Amino acid sequence: MSAAPHLVISGVSKRFGAATVLDRVDLTIRRGELVTLLGPSGCGKTTLLRAIAGLAPPDGGTIALAGRDVTHVPPHRRNVGVVFQSYALFPHLTVAGNVAFGLKVRGAPKAEIDRAVERALSLVKLGHLGSRRISALSGGQQQRVALARAIAVEPDVLLFDEALSALDRKLREEMQVELRRLLQEVKATAIFVTHDQDEALTMSDRVAVMNKGRIEQLAEPRELYARPASLFALNFVGLSTRIAGQVVGGSNGTVEVVTPVGRLSARGAFQPGASVIVATRPEQLRLGTGDGANSAAGRVRSVVFQGSRTLVDVDAGAGASLLAELSGREAELPRVHDEVRFAWPVAETFAFAAEAS
Amino acid sequence: MMTRTAIIICWTLAIGLALFLLLPLVVIAAASFSPTPVFDLPLSGASTRWYGRIGRLDGFWPSLSLSLQIAVLSTALSLVAGTLAAIAIARGRLPGATALGTLLVSPLMMPGLVLGIALLQYFRMIGFTATWSALLVAHLVVTLPYVARTMIAGLSRFDFTLIEAARTLGCTYAGSVLRVMVPALAPSFLISGLFSLLASFDNYPVSIFLTDVRSKTLPIRMLQYIEEAPDPTLAALSTLILAGTLVLLLISDRLVGLHRMAGTAD
Repeated sequence: MSAAPHLVISGVSKRFGAATVLDRVDLTIRRGELVTLLGPSGCGKTTLLRAIAGLAPPDGGTIALAGRDVTHVPPHRRNVGVVFQSYALFPHLTVAGNVAFGLKVRGAPKAEIDRAVERALSLVKLGHLGSRRISALSGGQQQRVALARAIAVEPDVLLFDEALSALDRKLREEMQVELRRLLQEVKATAIFVTHDQDEALTMSDRVAVMNKGRIEQLAEPRELYARPASLFALNFVGLSTRIAGQVVGGSNGTVEVVTPVGRLSARGAFQPGASVIVATRPEQLRLGTGDGANSAAGRVRSVVFQGSRTLVDVDAGAGASLLAELSGREAELPRVHDEVRFAWPVAETFAFAAEAS
Repeated sequence: MMTRTAIIICWTLAIGLALFLLLPLVVIAAASFSPTPVFDLPLSGASTRWYGRIGRLDGFWPSLSLSLQIAVLSTALSLVAGTLAAIAIARGRLPGATALGTLLVSPLMMPGLVLGIALLQYFRMIGFTATWSALLVAHLVVTLPYVARTMIAGLSRFDFTLIEAARTLGCTYAGSVLRVMVPALAPSFLISGLFSLLASFDNYPVSIFLTDVRSKTLPIRMLQYIEEAPDPTLAALSTLILAGTLVLLLISDRLVGLHRMAGTAD
């Protein structure tokens, strides 16, 4: 992975009527990087992908791909590959015909087309199905053909628009791993659009969490999970315990917050009196009081066994609840209605400004 | 036992129905080769002399020419107008698109006689008396619904993402339409054209009100012949029309496949 910027999006905006769908988005992607645009529907992630593909030119800002300003270049002269949610395979062509389409349009010589088609189909493990009709394929196979078709033209960037969402869960999880390996093998630069956090964490080198037409946080999956930059990012990726409170003091990047479950310390910088949400990840919670740690008590509301882990939901009173994830090796798991006390490290506790809503 | 009986009954009915529908065609074809003016079974030999007489029928060539002109032109115009209308209805955000679609197809549900009388009165009222043009317009009313209905159905099943896919693969917009949309819609195009052509060519109830002594379409001319001299010449002509239709169907089958045209595949 070289450090040279490969795709540079700066200040890209898009409006549909009165609605701002993209609000001055900046994003720089390196060659060979796999980046996911993650967010709820309507956050602008698909619009951004379509802007990169040239299917929906932005109203403002610029997009540069492989050192060339492509902001106003039509899609057919951009050299991008798109895998659509519906796959958009051409029903009147065979599997090989679909994969060859891009090269044929570019007027490549027949021998070269045949080689590229064979290579692309063997990459997606469909080498034996070239002469099949599209309608004779399963959903998973169609997905692979769509991928082969996009790869065959050796695009500067591969774009995936919810490309795995039509597959059933088991197949989707297999494809995530296989796709990541395959993309790394051909050294592709790729952008995925998805609302599935597992897909984002599995597939990408970096994840851009999008909300209301903006990128809220751009980070590696591990960092995104451990250090969410906003309440939205915290909520969208992974589970968390969230308790509302008021800041009463603090220093050195740590604030003291009064909450219904007691006084808690959290990372963050707020003025006294500010309304904040104090949050932590479920696996940080441990049974007991802990030394110099945050802690809170309550009555167990539910215990959900999930194989390698067990989720414990605790009613901490005054509308607050704690969510703890305990590993299967825990000596003794609490039962419903038990009175328990949990503790968690201050370093893993975050304070976010409470949203007006 | 029950199912076996049911299957036998079903097949008997199906074969009986097919025979009932197709036998008249066989009879007309057989009659066209009758050596005598009066058709009689069993045939006492075969003759092609009636075929030779078709061309000498009074006013045959002008009528054939008129019918072909009107059929081909109304079909061509219907294909263009019907496809464009179907795109607007199936794709556009047109207010009242559904109502417009129903309106376009509505002449199909109207008895031809009513349509013919209505058009005659209307054309007289507005002073539109040129026979040829009046016939063309009337046939457009008849053929447009076939095209509009088939194309709306075809387009509503067409995934416009295919065009976007083609564009990202290197096609211009026009190129994408040509390489992706046209092949995908070819069956709809062909079947609606075929329907339209046949609907115009054998239309009687609407044409009868709009033709005059000098310009008669073929079906009207044929009815006149049968009143004047009912001999096997008409059977020969009918057989030729039947053969022509078969050839059209065979060509269509070669081009896109009848199973696709009937919408039974994919």
